[in-house]
Amino acid sequence: MALLQMKGITKSFFGVKVLDQVDLQVEPGEVHALLGENGAGKSTLMNILAGVYTRDAGQVFFMGKPLEDTTVRSAESAGIAFVHQELNLFNDLRVYENIFLRKELVKVLGVLDKKEMIRRTRDLMNSLGVDIHPAAMVSELDTSKKQLLEIAKALHANAELIILDEPTTSLNNDEIDLLFSLINRLKEAGKSFIFISHKMQEVFRIADRYTVLRNGLLIDTGSIKDVTSTTLARLMVGNQYTDQSVYQPRELGEVVLEMKNLSGEGFRDVSLSVKKGEIIGFTGLKGAGISELFRTIFGVLPITGGELVLFGEPVLHNSVRTAMRKRLSMIAANRKENSIIPDFSLLENFYVSEHRLSSRKPLVRINRELNRYRVHRDTLSIRASTAHAPITSLSGGNQQKVIIARWLNTQADILLLDNPTQGIDVGSKAEIYGLIQQLAHAGKTILVNTLEIPEIMKVADRCVVFYHGCIHSILPRGDISEETVMIAATNAIKSEVHA
Amino acid sequence: MSVSKADNGRQKQSITRVLGNYSFILIFFAILAVYLIINAGATTWSGVMNILRHSTVVGIIAFGMGLAIITGGIDLSVGSMLSLIGGFSVVVFNATNSPVLTLLFSLFAGLVLGSINGLLIGRIKMPPFIVTLATMMIFRSIAQYYLRSVERKSIFNMDGTLSSYDAFYSFGQSKLFDLIPTVGIILIVVTAIMVFLSTSTKYGRTVYAVGSNERAAMLAGISVEWVRTSVYIITGVLCGLAAFIWLAMNGAVDPATLGRSNEMYAIAAVVIGGISMSGGKGKLLGVLFGAMSYNIIDKIIAAMRFDALINDTIKGAILLVAVLIQIIIPSLRRRLKKAGD
Repeated sequence: MALLQMKGITKSFFGVKVLDQVDLQVEPGEVHALLGENGAGKSTLMNILAGVYTRDAGQVFFMGKPLEDTTVRSAESAGIAFVHQELNLFNDLRVYENIFLRKELVKVLGVLDKKEMIRRTRDLMNSLGVDIHPAAMVSELDTSKKQLLEIAKALHANAELIILDEPTTSLNNDEIDLLFSLINRLKEAGKSFIFISHKMQEVFRIADRYTVLRNGLLIDTGSIKDVTSTTLARLMVGNQYTDQSVYQPRELGEVVLEMKNLSGEGFRDVSLSVKKGEIIGFTGLKGAGISELFRTIFGVLPITGGELVLFGEPVLHNSVRTAMRKRLSMIAANRKENSIIPDFSLLENFYVSEHRLSSRKPLVRINRELNRYRVHRDTLSIRASTAHAPITSLSGGNQQKVIIARWLNTQADILLLDNPTQGIDVGSKAEIYGLIQQLAHAGKTILVNTLEIPEIMKVADRCVVFYHGCIHSILPRGDISEETVMIAATNAIKSEVHA
Repeated sequence: MSVSKADNGRQKQSITRVLGNYSFILIFFAILAVYLIINAGATTWSGVMNILRHSTVVGIIAFGMGLAIITGGIDLSVGSMLSLIGGFSVVVFNATNSPVLTLLFSLFAGLVLGSINGLLIGRIKMPPFIVTLATMMIFRSIAQYYLRSVERKSIFNMDGTLSSYDAFYSFGQSKLFDLIPTVGIILIVVTAIMVFLSTSTKYGRTVYAVGSNERAAMLAGISVEWVRTSVYIITGVLCGLAAFIWLAMNGAVDPATLGRSNEMYAIAAVVIGGISMSGGKGKLLGVLFGAMSYNIIDKIIAAMRFDALINDTIKGAILLVAVLIQIIIPSLRRRLKKAGD
């Protein structure tokens, strides 16, 4: 008998159907991949399951019993745990306090039995094979540990079904391995997972079955063994999908960006010269120092050694604005925290950076801004009802396009893209990579930092692999493959030599 | 089909949205109506114009407060700046016999005091609440100390025997075309400038950006340090202007009482005006109405011959009602939208 059966789930927001007659079935002891682009209805379906939203129609059976009028609490006590992408942990509490929240063990007079809670937390962590100290402050744990803690917390609450919403977004490969081995062990113990991810490789590594949603409709469901990643991708995006590389060779110009033994916070001795029109993919494990390098080039972090030469002139800039004057721009990682100004309309989000360069003309001229916005809207195909809509009303992909438009509007010649496709659906990803090609053709120089090697293979002329804050190797386009890059990023060959 | 539905929804939304965004006007007219009814026969043109006149000092400093709050900060020292600048402006006037030099001094002193707040908050990154709490204590204390131990008086009095005293003092009482108080016109002009600054200049938008997401603002090229510093400098200069106007209206400064609780009234005016205390949102136009609303309450209490001590009870209650409206209307809007579906 199925562990979970959702039948004919329908849900509308403001008259728009976001789920239409969707079914989902999860067996005991399986990892079920829930796939679809942003806005396909995955989150809504999961929020209905976890009791965050109420369904308009349809039935849910969990462990044979119908779930009616589900609330977050009743779903939890039924055995459904939702591990959100933005983790719901209390950073200012300790690990065991998070585990025992609302279920604290007490001694006489309601005094907390800390010893026992710590002991049980330690046992729980040991049984999961997770190395987290029970009394550690959650704020001191890194993201992967927090993720594991969330799962531990769910298990402590006797969850039978754990929903993981894009759990690997901020994890490096070692951490993903750790997470997956834990999932596999729990699966053998009979627990089930619903796994939401945009990363195809991971789906094939961990999932047993899949369900694909598109525009609120159930498209397909079946066993992972019977499909290929291309078929899945096609199912997810419909007709618009093409797997072909967008790469086209270009004539490169003179050297525009040169680093000579450049050092900063988190990286050192980086030497590289980049030509006009070139696309360079940067990759490495999380924490390898690429984000720091980008932020240093962009004037956010200080240069501590070596030299940075832009358009033939050495620079010692100490602010973002001076970097912008040197025709640099950076699309920062983590859009919500670092790029989006949430109280602004998308037009305001668009013009804010250009204004820093034109502050000698102190007035905002709405019509001029609108005209400029429309040009970028058309080239980037930003989909939004009006330029005055709040930026937060757009999907992740469209928000990111607005941010790209913000920087193109500054007439920058060198673009630093730090994880530009984070949290963006497959269709928008393809558009953004197509755009990178176009921009390079138009003479822009582009540095992309990404953890996803296939993305680099799609667009880059060269691939720079970082390891522990240094350049490990620079691969020409012909040598870029998942294997060569991973070997370099994990420093596999060198460690063999040492061993 | 779906198009017309969407349009309908937008229209319905826009009515409640206007109500939500401009609730300060509703509150203002409600209080004004109460005043006119209570005052019935005794209502005169100059009585109504006095609302404008008596709102000027708090209104002007509340605009600075509004900017500080939009960046996510606060300036508790506004009342004390008024006291310190006012006191020393009297000294300057008595020494120079020149209203123009006095005005220049007031503005410059405001610039200096505001820069102290601004540099500590913007550049050294100390919390605005703490910095301005400290300067609130310091500024007033300096005014009081100087008065007693150097001037050996209990109040800063402008020297009425000076030749330009009459011109200065009557400027504070004057009316344009015998209709509108000059100081009220200054308030309107300041309102116009501040609304323009916040909505139509690139600088104004950076103030909102910093309050909305400081990190994103920094990475978009905005100098967060400078924006933060500048709003406190502007607040200081506005306090200087307000102190000068106070002198023209009253001719004397008691450093112990001038501007007391004004920071609270300014904050209340900002909140009634619909500016979010968490920063990034709200219209400065609301500040004018917030300040005037509070002034009418003074007049209602005077007209009804209530004990003046009940004043803050009513002002506090109005503040709660104003915030309640701001919270209820958006949720009403959501419910309306749902019903529309």
